[in-house]
Amino acid sequence: MQAWRIRLLTMLEYKANFIMWFAFTIAYHGVAIAALGATLYNFPSLAGWNFRQIAFLYALWMLGHSTHNLLFFSIGEVPVYVQEGTFDRFLVRPRDVLFQIVSVPNQQWPDELALALVWFVFATWYAHVRIDAVFLVAVPLVVAGGVLIDLAISLATATIAFWFVRVDTLRWVVMSLEQEFTRYPVSIYTRGVRILLAYVLPYAFMNYFPAVYFLHKSDQGLAIVPWLGLLAPAVGAVWFAAAYSFWRLGLNRYQGTGS
Amino acid sequence: MGHSLRLDAYLQFASKAFQREATYRVEVFSEIGSLVLRVYLIRALWTALYAHNRAPANLPLHTIITYSTVALLLSLIFEVDGTRQLREKIRLGTIATDLLKPISIPGSLFSDGVGTTLLHAMSVIPSLLIALLLVHVDRPPDLAAGAAFAAAFALGYAVNFLLNFCMNCVAFWTLETFALQLVVRWLSDLLSGAIIPLTLFPGALQGVLLHLPFAAVYSTPLFVYLGLIHGQQIGRALLEQIAWLIVFSGLGAWIWSRGRDRVVVQGG
Repeated sequence: MQAWRIRLLTMLEYKANFIMWFAFTIAYHGVAIAALGATLYNFPSLAGWNFRQIAFLYALWMLGHSTHNLLFFSIGEVPVYVQEGTFDRFLVRPRDVLFQIVSVPNQQWPDELALALVWFVFATWYAHVRIDAVFLVAVPLVVAGGVLIDLAISLATATIAFWFVRVDTLRWVVMSLEQEFTRYPVSIYTRGVRILLAYVLPYAFMNYFPAVYFLHKSDQGLAIVPWLGLLAPAVGAVWFAAAYSFWRLGLNRYQGTGS
Repeated sequence: MGHSLRLDAYLQFASKAFQREATYRVEVFSEIGSLVLRVYLIRALWTALYAHNRAPANLPLHTIITYSTVALLLSLIFEVDGTRQLREKIRLGTIATDLLKPISIPGSLFSDGVGTTLLHAMSVIPSLLIALLLVHVDRPPDLAAGAAFAAAFALGYAVNFLLNFCMNCVAFWTLETFALQLVVRWLSDLLSGAIIPLTLFPGALQGVLLHLPFAAVYSTPLFVYLGLIHGQQIGRALLEQIAWLIVFSGLGAWIWSRGRDRVVVQGG
């Protein structure tokens, strides 16, 4: 907790910078949503989804992804630490290595999460999602699952850096897979890509399957049961556990060759 | 910029940039990797959209897929920002020594950008081949359209360079320009037709966007390529590009001289 507090105080020191980056965050998501809006203005149905529903799909992804960025952004820096040789300092300190990396002071502001919350509230209303007890309980769980899925994949990607120092290419490809492929219903993709997004890099559990449930859509392709999306926290936990074991394995290897 | 034009010096800048970029082969691979994903996405998205909706007039599926794919390939070239170094030079103060050299800095940045672009253009070739495996890309309707596309592309390249140059000159006044540049980059991607054709925007907005300088970079060359504008319309579009070229050359020269004076006066 202390670590988060210090980070918050550091951020307040850079107010002008904050405004600039907030403008950047708004521009980034604004452009993505505007492009979706203009496209669906001409083509009202994307595999049976209208713009309102696509807006909700985007909002669900944005909530999980921005929470992940806020809390665990520094995991993406691990390959850089390994390249520069600064990773070793984490190994000599008497705390869990992953905990140390996560609490490295950085300049991550909660601006994206704030924007995500605003957009989510709007999109929920805009897409006529029924707000009941199930919704209120399920959304935080689905978001937590989304954070874990994001975390698991970024941790696994970072771990590969212990074997192959340069993983920029892989990171880049995984990142664009996540950012661009989660914008649309998974049902528009071919079978191989759908399976990849559902059961290998399970980004579909961050937004698509939960949105199918909340919006009462049907997916004949992959969703075996309509409430599949509610399994997001379980999928997140399993994938994170796997990624963490992989991380321990990589860490042991790194220490083994390093000393 | 009153230095005599020493072409060989600028050719050297271009070839140095080419060699420097060629050492970063990893980036070329990541470019091709993400390109494959994007071309796949273009095909999946537009195929799904055309399957359940009525197509807009003169924009059949193969046209929009060609548009998006060529726009993507163009972005590999246009995203090279040779003037980005300017920001670093100003931030670190090394601009002062560059000003003493008997060369034009904007000229050297342009040559450097061209060199970098040539390498990226070479990575466009394998990218194009891979793209052609995933989607069918139409050719320009005739030889004249092809020639007009080459002209529109060259003008678009020059306008893009000048827009970037003006943006980076802002660093003379405030050093934190990175976020600002990214904001402009995202917005111009949308407003230039790099993501979706400007004709997909609602009527009045579309009329405005088609005549902004951003459209001169992507939209005009792409419309010429696809034969969506022809005859006199092409002439008018090229003239509009030339007009923006003149406007931004003037603006660039003005900002540059103001900025340079600031450095010279501050430096004493």
